[in-house]
Amino acid sequence: MLLIAGVVALLTAACAAAGTDTTSASGFDGTVLDPPEPKPEFVLTDTQGNPFDFQADTQGDLTLLYFGYTYCPDICPVQLAQIAAALDKLPDVERHTKVVFVTVDPERDTPKVIRSFLDKFDTNFIGLRGTIEEVEAAQRAAGVSVAAKIGEGDDYSMAHAAQVIAYAPDGFAYTQYPYGTRQTQWVHDLPLVLDRTDS
Amino acid sequence: MKLWCAALNRPWSWHWIAYPGVWVMVALPTIWYLVKVHRHGGVDRRSRAAFLAAMGIFWVSSDWPVGTLGAGYLDWVHMLQYLLYVLAIAPLLLLGTPEWMARQTLDRLHLLGAYRWLSRHLLVSGVIFNIVLLATHSPIGVDTLRSSQLGSFAMDMSWLASGIVLWAPIVNPIEELRTQSFALKMVYLFLSAGVVPIVPASALTFAHYPLYSTYELAPRVGRLTALEDQQLAGIVMKLGMVPVIWGAIGVMFFRWAAQERAR
Repeated sequence: MLLIAGVVALLTAACAAAGTDTTSASGFDGTVLDPPEPKPEFVLTDTQGNPFDFQADTQGDLTLLYFGYTYCPDICPVQLAQIAAALDKLPDVERHTKVVFVTVDPERDTPKVIRSFLDKFDTNFIGLRGTIEEVEAAQRAAGVSVAAKIGEGDDYSMAHAAQVIAYAPDGFAYTQYPYGTRQTQWVHDLPLVLDRTDS
Repeated sequence: MKLWCAALNRPWSWHWIAYPGVWVMVALPTIWYLVKVHRHGGVDRRSRAAFLAAMGIFWVSSDWPVGTLGAGYLDWVHMLQYLLYVLAIAPLLLLGTPEWMARQTLDRLHLLGAYRWLSRHLLVSGVIFNIVLLATHSPIGVDTLRSSQLGSFAMDMSWLASGIVLWAPIVNPIEELRTQSFALKMVYLFLSAGVVPIVPASALTFAHYPLYSTYELAPRVGRLTALEDQQLAGIVMKLGMVPVIWGAIGVMFFRWAAQERAR
């Protein structure tokens, strides 16, 4: 019995260590943006071929903005899978959330390719594309580094910003989430971002 | 050059990776064993087969692709590796080692006294086995050790050592160090490897979130999500141990019954 008690105690301690509290004084686990950043203005095209006005079409929603590309071998699939897993656990938050994926590789990422890629994570995720100039302008407007092509031919990759920017329903981003954000951190922060309406 | 499998932090690929450290760890003991046995005038076929099977399983479970997948991509493969080390390699090594070799080796390493003491103190053996089990399956243990080749090597070797500690009272090559009582052996094995491991296995199966950042943030292999992978790891641990542990207990029970009938 002592052994089992010890096992339970050690395991509890280990699990607690796994969920190490990284919450900052602001209450968020994510990287706090100080001052908060306003939602950028840009219009791109969604996977149905319709224009998508980022500011107007996400008004009043918790909006997660991510710049990536479907051929991304590591960071993009992990970030999107983490968001999808977290939203699955937060159905009340999910109803008021829009996840917007903007491709930084419009040459290869056709609307069909983007849709197929996003549907692996969540069919409600919104995919946007535009010309290279439009996409670069959107990245600048969002305050992230502009993606750059690495390599030649068809087998190139894109160096791009890895963080997800979270805009509260009031239209301001108070936090962003780098690659490596864990599901527990997403689940902790998303309800807080949704409730954050006092800019 | 990579010597031992550790988390790679890059997308999984079926391109072969060489791990010379694994080859050395397989080749040196095998050559050493075969030379020793040859000089001694041979060993029975069963022991030789057990030792070579142990080294074969050790190679497969430590080298690419199993070792690489387990070290940095899939939790269930990590768990499978654990079971192979503890439930297959360790007892096969003990079964494959002739008594004279075990005595000679332990004596030269000045470990005979400690080994003798450990083999006779079942409670200590059980506790050591379970401490290693917990430490190497705790989130902090996995995420720390799997991030480096040295850490990953230490984890794998601690599994092997804990497996030898677990099985030594049952299949000890040194006859007088084997626990003689069948009942005691059965209870020992049941409590050490049949009960306590259910706790971490259940934690993995029923956790709401991935516990290990190593596998949660690894580029996915196949269609399993990080949480599904973890749940599968829990099931592998729970179900993987059952046939071996209960199989061993069953064998001991029937031997005990046969012994009683013969009296």
